[in-house]
Amino acid sequence: MQEKNRGLALFTFLVFVFLLGPLLIISITSFEGGSILKFPPEEYSFKWYENIFQVEMFLSTFKTSIIVSVAGNILALLLGVPAAYALSRFDFAGKGIINGIFVSPILIPGIVLGFSFLRYIVVAYDLPIYTSLFIGHTVIMLPFVIRVISSSLTNFDFSIEEAALSLGASRLGTFFSIVVPNIKSGIIAAVMIAFLESFNNVDISVYMTGPGVSTFPIQMLLYVENYFDPTVAAISVLLMIITALFMFIVERLMGLSYFTKR
Amino acid sequence: MALFTLQDISVAYNKKEILKDFNLEIEKGQLVSLLGPSGCGKTTTLRLIAGFLQSNNGKFLFKDKDYTKVPVNKRNFGFVFQNYALFPHMTVADNIAFGLRLRKVPKAEAVKRVERMLEIVNLEGYGKRFPSELSGGQRQRVAIARALVIEPDILLFDEPLSNLDANLRVNMRVEIRRIQQELGITTVYVSHDQEECFSISDQVAIMNKGIIEQLSDPATIYKYPATKFVADFIGFKNFIEFESREDKGDTVELSKNGRVFTVEKHTHMSPNKKVGAVRPDDFLLAEWNETQVLPSNGIPGKIKITTFLGRSYQYVVSTPIGDFTVNKEMTAPYHVGQEVVLIIPKDQMVLVE
Amino acid sequence: MKRRYLYLLLLPGLLFLTVFMVIPILSMIGTTFHDNGTISVKGYIDFFKDDYFIKILLTTLRVSLFTTLICILIGFPVSYYISKLQARKKAVFLLLTIFPLLTSPVVRSFSWMIIIGKNGVLNKVLLGAGLINQPLEILYTPTAIIIGLVHLFLPLVIVTLVGVMENIEMDLLQAAESLGASKLGVFLKIVVPLCVPGLVIGSILVFVGSFTAYTTPALLGGKQRVISTFLYQNAITLNDWKLASIVATIMIVVTFIIIAIMNGAAKKLNPKG
Repeated sequence: MQEKNRGLALFTFLVFVFLLGPLLIISITSFEGGSILKFPPEEYSFKWYENIFQVEMFLSTFKTSIIVSVAGNILALLLGVPAAYALSRFDFAGKGIINGIFVSPILIPGIVLGFSFLRYIVVAYDLPIYTSLFIGHTVIMLPFVIRVISSSLTNFDFSIEEAALSLGASRLGTFFSIVVPNIKSGIIAAVMIAFLESFNNVDISVYMTGPGVSTFPIQMLLYVENYFDPTVAAISVLLMIITALFMFIVERLMGLSYFTKR
Repeated sequence: MALFTLQDISVAYNKKEILKDFNLEIEKGQLVSLLGPSGCGKTTTLRLIAGFLQSNNGKFLFKDKDYTKVPVNKRNFGFVFQNYALFPHMTVADNIAFGLRLRKVPKAEAVKRVERMLEIVNLEGYGKRFPSELSGGQRQRVAIARALVIEPDILLFDEPLSNLDANLRVNMRVEIRRIQQELGITTVYVSHDQEECFSISDQVAIMNKGIIEQLSDPATIYKYPATKFVADFIGFKNFIEFESREDKGDTVELSKNGRVFTVEKHTHMSPNKKVGAVRPDDFLLAEWNETQVLPSNGIPGKIKITTFLGRSYQYVVSTPIGDFTVNKEMTAPYHVGQEVVLIIPKDQMVLVE
Repeated sequence: MKRRYLYLLLLPGLLFLTVFMVIPILSMIGTTFHDNGTISVKGYIDFFKDDYFIKILLTTLRVSLFTTLICILIGFPVSYYISKLQARKKAVFLLLTIFPLLTSPVVRSFSWMIIIGKNGVLNKVLLGAGLINQPLEILYTPTAIIIGLVHLFLPLVIVTLVGVMENIEMDLLQAAESLGASKLGVFLKIVVPLCVPGLVIGSILVFVGSFTAYTTPALLGGKQRVISTFLYQNAITLNDWKLASIVATIMIVVTFIIIAIMNGAAKKLNPKG
């Protein structure tokens, strides 16, 4: 029995080397002092980190990504929180179908969704690229918002809502003063996860690039196809640090079970 | 004059009828309990009064105004929930002040009223604590304070004590009654616990399957249950279906299997009823054998089962007219098979159907 | 009164999704059934007749299948190990598993380019150790895509399976042992059968994900096309929207069929009923 465990432990260790090794390697190569990407680096320097800020396209697409993801997140919350509340609180005809519609953006392949956005939102509805990006990202963030808020409300004790009503509060007032404060951590976690998914998204953003407009991951993709220097490695490290930060905050707020629930 | 009236109310849920043509009148200042088993409709009635439910037909009149369509947050009725429903993100003081803030009561006055309320429920000094820091009994008192501070026209309790342990329940119900009487506030109280309701109510409505079987003061119900359901619910375990009845002045004679039993008439006795009910504690039981004379209202019997209950012994006695459950305190209990005589005292049988 | 509130809460979201997602997707599918003004399935017939297209479809299916198998075979034992750890160690492993999941797919695929490229880390190590004479050409082949996709989805499988295994009550395992089962017996007879629904769900998630992935095959596959890069190529580079729509519809249909199978299988296989 002990041997079995030791063998399994070794196997697991190797698997994690496989999972995390590449990320470690890319982090190390980001400190390359020379001019081409190689591992192990010949010399060490921060110059590729500086380079990020020299490349104009990185800065402007970063700004675009932030704006699109934040604005999309806000719209997703405005549309999704009331919907999640309605779906959790009430039973009604057609609930299954409506729930299905709200969940469907996750089920449709991103690369397909992006194409239909291009074909219809950009071309048929004739909306500018920036706006189309904003709309597209809202669509993909909406299911996340709804799923997380719904699960926060699953174990919610709605009798405190009734208590507030019996004391004279309006339905809207009750929602903001009683329901929202008690699902606060769920909302924050939902926002962070949705933001990460949107910021990192390639499959739909790749269709909606125009003169001077593009999202950050797409810019990274373009850069990699043309240059093979450690700039992208440096960007990767910075992104990983931010991701780790987000994860830390979500874990503090919601615990580890938040990630393992399906 | 009735403070509020439920008139011909019908409520159905998921195609199941819970209340049909239901009527109830409550006088000002009274504490009325709705008592009954699960599913009898008592909670539905309470939530209807509060405004959480709408009836399909019928009217709810309050002080002669039609309140049927008035939404819950405009009724000014205090509601105390079974699981307290305290706002977890607010302090005790903020919980209690919630209703006052909505009514735009000035801050200084609100603070005073909250303090007064904390005194009334014996929770002085607890204002800054959070619900999670309180015990069950304390939370219940905050819930009561929160409902009272808004000076409601009616106070509604939904099984408020079921989540507390036995000792606490007894203390809390005394508190609730004390506060209710002190403030003279009309109260409707729902529970499935008979002792609880009987000990604190002015009137009790015993409900069964959406109908009020009997509405009366506790003493009357206790002594003179009106129907078989009520009798069974409050502890009359023995029922005898008599074959015939003859009214004779002050008494009634009932017969079964050729045996005749005499029962005293009382003001609450209804004519024509022929089913008698007797409490296990009210029988007289004595050793007997066939050589002895049979006392009046007595039947010969044999002990079938003996159970020790702690305070008393419980016997199942089999007789020619059926098996009966009898409770008796005894130092020397009867044994199985013993021949006894079972006597029904003239004033201890109630006719219920 | 309640009804009205209800629709008000749902309407904005529903309207938004209908206008910007439901209608575009349905319209796109609709155009694939039109041919010069008449309704026909000519587009699909032409598609399935073309060897080149079929080859891409099959390659994608093959890649997805291999990825799924490898993820399950590796993921299952690893999940078992993690699920038996003490809380603190378990938390650390889970965090390490989840971290890659949240990093950008561009970052993850790029890191493999550094490793399996001609001048990459792997070749350097193997050449240096004398294990091979010529650098291995892994990059820009289906194998590279599989490696990248396994790296992408393995954490997902581990997280799913650990969740499932945690739900298996200790009592069941102890009962089996008390009745005489060995540790291996407990694993095979109790743990594995109870994990089947989780395995099914995990497999389908990986399969669908691999089938529709874009970034990884785009970076690691080079000229080797899979169905998603093929779709993009037709949509943007070649501007053949007709063909792109057909490919897109096929992808949707395959995805939905597999998800439907998942729902059916999960219901049937759930031992708790």
